[in-house]
Amino acid sequence: MAGLSFSPDMRGQFAAIARVRWQLFVNGLRTIRGRLEVVARGFMFLAFGIAGLGGSLGFGLLAWYLVSHQKAEWLAILLWTVFLFWQLFPIMASALTENVDSSNLLRFPLSFPSYFMIRLVYGALDPSTGLGCLWLFGLAIGVGIAQPGLFLWAALVLAAFAIFNILLARMIFAWVERWLAQRRTREILGAVFFIFIICFQFIGPLMSRVGRHSHPGVSRITTLVLPYERAFPPGLAAEAIARAIHGAFAAAMAAFALECVYALAILWLLNVRLWAQYHGENLSEAMARSTAPKEKRAIRLGWNVSGIPGPVAAILEKEFHYLSRSGPMLFTFVMPVVILLIFRLGPQTSAKQGNFLAHAPDLAFPVGSAYALLVLTNLVYNCFGADAVGMQLFFVSPVSFREILLGKNLAHALVLACEVIAIWIAVCFMFHPPAIDITLATVTGVGFALLLNLTVGNLLSIYTPKKIDYGAFGKQRASTTTVFASLGIQAAVFGLAAVTLLIARAFGSVWIATVIFLILAGAAAIGYIMVLNRADRIALDRRDAILAELCRA
Amino acid sequence: MDAPAIATQGLTRRFGDLIAVQDVNLSVAPGQFFGFLGPNGAGKSTTIKMLTGLLAASSGSIQVLGLDLAKNPVEVKRQIGVVPEGMALFGRLTGAEYLNFVGRMYGLDRETAGKRTAELLDFMQLAEQPKTLVTDYSHGMQKKLALAAAVIHGPRILFLDEPFEGVDAIASGTLKAMLQRMIARGATIFLTSHVLEIVERLCSHLAIIHKGRLVAQGSLEELRAGVEAQAAAALADASAGESPSAPGEKLTLEEIFLRIVGGTRHADQELSWLG
Repeated sequence: MAGLSFSPDMRGQFAAIARVRWQLFVNGLRTIRGRLEVVARGFMFLAFGIAGLGGSLGFGLLAWYLVSHQKAEWLAILLWTVFLFWQLFPIMASALTENVDSSNLLRFPLSFPSYFMIRLVYGALDPSTGLGCLWLFGLAIGVGIAQPGLFLWAALVLAAFAIFNILLARMIFAWVERWLAQRRTREILGAVFFIFIICFQFIGPLMSRVGRHSHPGVSRITTLVLPYERAFPPGLAAEAIARAIHGAFAAAMAAFALECVYALAILWLLNVRLWAQYHGENLSEAMARSTAPKEKRAIRLGWNVSGIPGPVAAILEKEFHYLSRSGPMLFTFVMPVVILLIFRLGPQTSAKQGNFLAHAPDLAFPVGSAYALLVLTNLVYNCFGADAVGMQLFFVSPVSFREILLGKNLAHALVLACEVIAIWIAVCFMFHPPAIDITLATVTGVGFALLLNLTVGNLLSIYTPKKIDYGAFGKQRASTTTVFASLGIQAAVFGLAAVTLLIARAFGSVWIATVIFLILAGAAAIGYIMVLNRADRIALDRRDAILAELCRA
Repeated sequence: MDAPAIATQGLTRRFGDLIAVQDVNLSVAPGQFFGFLGPNGAGKSTTIKMLTGLLAASSGSIQVLGLDLAKNPVEVKRQIGVVPEGMALFGRLTGAEYLNFVGRMYGLDRETAGKRTAELLDFMQLAEQPKTLVTDYSHGMQKKLALAAAVIHGPRILFLDEPFEGVDAIASGTLKAMLQRMIARGATIFLTSHVLEIVERLCSHLAIIHKGRLVAQGSLEELRAGVEAQAAAALADASAGESPSAPGEKLTLEEIFLRIVGGTRHADQELSWLG
């Protein structure tokens, strides 16, 4: 890592990259979609700004309170919170994170220090770094107000902690990038990631459930584990500040030194990864050469779905092949049942503890179904996204977009139907079988919501498509415009459902909700058919933009 | 006389102020192996996209097998096969699933689609990896699969955009064998390619587009005669630096192409800093 000084060459390269990124941004504004994306990102920036400044104030107040009340050791909780957010958020929201494609950079005559710095600087321009730095700044101010003499020391310790977090996040991404480079490892990593996310959901309910009974084994483990927390960077940073407050400067220095050692170790690991990239490691996806001729298999015929035209059945089959090969999508589909299980495992003694389903188990089926519907929006609102260059086939084949959308919508409706049935069975086991009136009201409500979502989803799929990859985690995100539009539709759907349920409750009969949902579904069906009948004309009018987006490399 | 397999009148495509293709009048007779040539950015891909329905024409008309593409898009698409620039593949299907899917999209019944899929995979030597996803195929395998998909419904006209780009000699041989078989059975092939040697060997008729305008059209012999006549006239005027071919020596397609699009350069004028 020697020679990390900014030579004129390096400065020129940095300036060139900054300029090209600016040009890409400006060129993106040429299209209406690009301008809408900028507006949507503006809202996102505002939300992150509020979270950053609000969080900074909150962390500052907490730090001030803890230090001024002689509880500086508890700063560790704040620092662990910052640390977990900083490291987990970029993985969960990878679409918001800037990543430089190293293969593009490496063809230029960059020195390794330049390459390292570019990866570090541009990679660090993400919301988690911004928010984390703001929160740590607030923490330092809070400590400084409570103990003005220690402000500089706290700022130094927290700055080192920030550098450690930036390096760790970059190091994790660099290694994850290595695993994402090949389809197989990418899919394994996606599966591991989703299992991790699902397990993460269970921590809260299990903690509260176990916590109520003060399980002796858990207490023992907690007593054993807690001291080791101080051996890790968030604990060390808290320790360095707390010990300094208590006047134990040698111990504070030791904790700070250890924190720096962690940062250096992470820097070394990052260096190892980037060094391999810099020297052109081979991440080819080429198939291994077969040593013996494989036995030929009989070709399996396509699906035969009676009553459905061949092309629609072919689309239906293709959609199921795609979904069944997408680890991330499959894990998304199990989430509604997992959510119900989380509610089931949560505390059930008091509504104040947050588990409303324990007190209103009749709502379990509607809530689970509503969640399933939310999961489906990912598919419905960008239904051509995963087809990528395959979209060309739809334009050159003698099949109307009406049939193509019908096939896709049928596949998505079947997925939702399976989800709703699975939720109904899960509710029967976890709570009790839903009443017949609740079941029918939910099914008709879901039917209405599905038709409305399909109607708008078909339009948005044509108007704002975005190339996605079902196989890679974090690559299923639709365009920001679509995300905002779908949020609006979901708000409208849930608003209508709430009003319907309130009316039904006022009349004292859930059956009224079923009737209202049926009427709404009828209206949505008319809209759906109207859109379907115009799909060909709209798709042909938009074909240049659709193909430009989906066929780009 | 049969109607042309492909005919365009005043075909034009604008992208804002840029006129990518201007007033192109093409005529391809049935059964021809037709090569559509041009330098980079000349308008080849734009033209083939318009002919296959991937791009709307700004003005002009396209007739395919006597049918107006704008008025009868579905009927036209039923009779043509296309290997577009991006190959139109679905990466997360296996080769067999993809061919089956395409067959059914073109209206084949399940049994026929399955039978032709097996035959095509065999012919293209793609049958050995039945479980491999298309995304894991090599570039050459993807080209072969794209061609197999374009012919599965037995089209009367085949449009190929750069079918030999990035393909090795073995895969190229397989592709050529299939194309020649189709020509022998009376199909029409419309092909764009930068590999002029292959075009010269395969195509009976050619058109050259330059800066969006059609600058030459006819059989290879007709183009050669035209260029030689022009060169002879120029020599007679003694006003051009070009030299006609040596007596008895035929101009190659590359030479014809360069003379038509004016591709000669004066090396001493350019890039002196290259050393």
